[in-house]
Amino acid sequence: MTTVLLHGGRVIDPTNGVDGDQRDIAVRDGRIVAPTPGEPADLDIDVSGCILMAGGIDMHTHIGGGKVNLARLLMPEDHRAGANPHALPANLLELASCGTCTPGTLATGYRYAEMGYTTAFEPAMVASNARHTHMEMGDVPILDHGAYVMLGNDELFLAMLARGADFQQIRDYTAWTMRATKAMGVKVVNPAGISAFKFNQRQLDVDEGHAHWQVTPRQVLHTLARALRELGVPHPLHIHGSNLGVAGNIESTLATIAALEGLPAHLTHVQFHAYGREGPKKFSSAAVPLAEAVNTHPNISIDIGQIMFGQTVTASGDTMRQFANADLASPRKWIGADIECDAGCGIVPFRYREQSYVNALQWAIGLEIFLLVRDPWRVVLTTDHPNGGPFTSYPHLIRLLMDREFRNEQLARLHPEVAAQAALRGITRELTLFEIAIMTRAAPARLLGLHDRGHLGVGAAADIAVYREQPDREAMFSVPDCVFKDGTLVARAGRITALPVGGTHFVEPDYDTAGETTLRTHFASHGSVNFDHAAISHDELCSCCNGGRLLPAVCFQGET
Amino acid sequence: MSELTVMAQASANAGACWTCPFCPLLCDRFGVAAEAGAAGLHLTGSSCRRAAEALARFKPGPSPSTPLVNGQTTDLDTAVAAAARLLQGSRQPLFAGLGTDVAGARALHALATDIGAISDAAHGAALMHGLRALQDRGAFTTTLAEVRTRADLIVCIGGSPSASLPEFFRRCGLGEATVAARHVVLLGSPADGNAADEHDALARLPGITVEAVALQGDLFDTVALLAASIAGTAPPGAVNEPLRKLAGRLHTAHYGVLTWEAARLPAQGALIVEALNRIVGTLNRRTRAATLPLGGGDGAATANQVHAWLSGLPLRTRAGPAGLEHEPLRFDTDRLLADRAVDTLLWVSSFGAARPLTLDLPHIVLGPVAMAGQLASGTHLPSVFIPVSTPGIGSAGHLFRTDGVVLMPLHKVIDDGLPTVADVARQLRLALTALRVNPPQ
Repeated sequence: MTTVLLHGGRVIDPTNGVDGDQRDIAVRDGRIVAPTPGEPADLDIDVSGCILMAGGIDMHTHIGGGKVNLARLLMPEDHRAGANPHALPANLLELASCGTCTPGTLATGYRYAEMGYTTAFEPAMVASNARHTHMEMGDVPILDHGAYVMLGNDELFLAMLARGADFQQIRDYTAWTMRATKAMGVKVVNPAGISAFKFNQRQLDVDEGHAHWQVTPRQVLHTLARALRELGVPHPLHIHGSNLGVAGNIESTLATIAALEGLPAHLTHVQFHAYGREGPKKFSSAAVPLAEAVNTHPNISIDIGQIMFGQTVTASGDTMRQFANADLASPRKWIGADIECDAGCGIVPFRYREQSYVNALQWAIGLEIFLLVRDPWRVVLTTDHPNGGPFTSYPHLIRLLMDREFRNEQLARLHPEVAAQAALRGITRELTLFEIAIMTRAAPARLLGLHDRGHLGVGAAADIAVYREQPDREAMFSVPDCVFKDGTLVARAGRITALPVGGTHFVEPDYDTAGETTLRTHFASHGSVNFDHAAISHDELCSCCNGGRLLPAVCFQGET
Repeated sequence: MSELTVMAQASANAGACWTCPFCPLLCDRFGVAAEAGAAGLHLTGSSCRRAAEALARFKPGPSPSTPLVNGQTTDLDTAVAAAARLLQGSRQPLFAGLGTDVAGARALHALATDIGAISDAAHGAALMHGLRALQDRGAFTTTLAEVRTRADLIVCIGGSPSASLPEFFRRCGLGEATVAARHVVLLGSPADGNAADEHDALARLPGITVEAVALQGDLFDTVALLAASIAGTAPPGAVNEPLRKLAGRLHTAHYGVLTWEAARLPAQGALIVEALNRIVGTLNRRTRAATLPLGGGDGAATANQVHAWLSGLPLRTRAGPAGLEHEPLRFDTDRLLADRAVDTLLWVSSFGAARPLTLDLPHIVLGPVAMAGQLASGTHLPSVFIPVSTPGIGSAGHLFRTDGVVLMPLHKVIDDGLPTVADVARQLRLALTALRVNPPQ
């Protein structure tokens, strides 16, 4: 029995309504327990002067799988320090692994854990690439992980929708795909658009027909959102909307919200979907209408996809939009792929520049959305790593949100028109530690249905980050004093101290297996893999994930 | 008919599936059987010559084979200890071959990183053609199901791939109704009887038209001229009629696919791949096209992916004194061996009995039982041989398919009683750690 006692710190635990009270946190066997007065602990740490929060949960970060590895292959320069190799780690526990915007899986685990994060979700798992994705996530040390499988661009789904198949059949197929790929959620990327690009369609609005199947993104969105609702999947449909990055795309984003007709959904990296076309450059912030729509639609949650200045690489399933942006690649190279009648991917290196009008405005739009949406429980802090910037920039982002003076100093350095005109200048809100704790752990846990994560109540998993309180919030959130994963001290003052294997979160919704006959026929006539190889068993998942624990989440009673 | 014991077959149930590990297509619709009294395993459900030949090398039961140290039989622990001492004494080890699955590559990566070994695959040179072009300019690729479902034009650069990948055209769905009319172009086919026979056989398939187009100059010239013709930048008269016609076909196709076999490209083949990627880039501005790279078999693509995801850098990398160094040209197995730039070799070949260029240095070989005979004879150098199980025959595992997207599960069909590469690599790592903590006096 291993016990830990953290005494003298201030606890911020929004799930349990705790906002900075001084209280002791006790841990036994990886779980948080009520402290027993007078009982000695194996590890007793004085954390006075520190803020204790649950371990961070990144619910949208591209950490593993086909496109992430292609991004690594495309960017050898991200794995050098200029002309020199990256030095080997000084810590003998770490194996050499490097990269900033495309870190190796080992570096991903080390850097997240050092920063106080203990869970991360890969948001774009291609069904035919699921084993690979789980392998990579299994090689991210320390962190628990899970993935959302991509649907809504696979030809079978679109064909079923086009021929007006029974909704129940589509719902069963959705459930089968989740079970087969061991997914935690379903993501739709540019609904029907990835497939349309394979048929040489270059653009697709929410109410436009797919060139071949004639179905619209609106139909795809509503069908998938309804299927997940009826299946009782805790995380609602995760939506990367139509027209990513296009000036004026706020119209598609609002149409996407309308298409849901009140069904719950999560709109991801909304910063990239909140652009107007006003002003002399025909590119403007639509943060206000977006925030208003979120404020008035309680069925909608969002993550931001904040951009950060500097070099990164954008890795997305949205082949159609990545193709359109490929000429802006910096350095000038990119990868695209059509994948297994299932999905696609596009990888475009990108350098966000402070003196670019568009990039500066993107930066301001992201922050405006953070600050204009009223309910922090429906906002999750992300940079859509690495698309807006690497996850290692989170402490800087937190400071921007918590410190208005610092934010305005940064704004003043940007493209002069943005610096002078951005609505951001007039926004006085500064997020509190309580709100940051919601956006980085409590809200993502709630949105994913992880009842024992994201909080520090008795019975929760002992994923704990201990930050030394200091006025510079960037410094504070960069290097926590201690980080615990399931009660094990995994990092101390920015140095990895243990390497437990993380677990895999997934859901297994029930479905009628009668539909498998159709799937078997489809695999035989159109696929490239034997149907009997489509599903990953628990044993195989375990071998993919390096023997990490399997953490199936419970479905709620679906509503039909 | 002689008695057949079915070891695995397709379509019965998941437990009985078999994935053929012997080429990068990783077909999973065939079966394996053991014929009573026959020496080797037997392929069912396909006439694939490559799979049949590979299977014939495996005995249906346990393989009575023991490790060798300096040519003398010994037990596994002794062999691992001897191998650990060789690696411990090495100033610059090379891990090459890398014929193994994901689990083996994971374990070898950790070991290589610990001791600063250079890692390169047996097909490293071929692998680098695609990788170097990708690192410089990127690519646009497709996968087998996409080709099967939508390719109306398939251009095989350098001729038909079916000599090395016998199932290739079947995997592309040639002759199926999914795509009503497909045109196949064999660009630069050798002018021999086999090529002519295959040409005729393909042409007899429903909906298929086939055309052989000769090279104009060498392959470098041809792809450069084709690229210029497609981009509309070729000087008048520079491109011959057949190539101009091909450029036109690619422009009018709905979904054109250019396949290329890494192993068949000449030195500096990255230049050819770059031109193909450029062709696809030009085409995609108006219509749809993609490349389909063929290669990465025997674990090469798998090791490349695993190294890339763990460390951030692909093969031909080492964790050297200065840090993580990736050298796609310098860290070439043949060059390192020829230059004597490494002093100890760990050679891994669990799918076949491929040998390195030379074994004229202290070496450790992890390979199939059949390699023992080749290695034992007359070497005065320190050597260790450890027979290992073949993933997909004696053990389960995972391998990446040629398109780099699908990671296929491999199944155990016989109980060969041998350790896997991952088992041996993990034991080696433990033994090396023990040597460091407690060095021999």
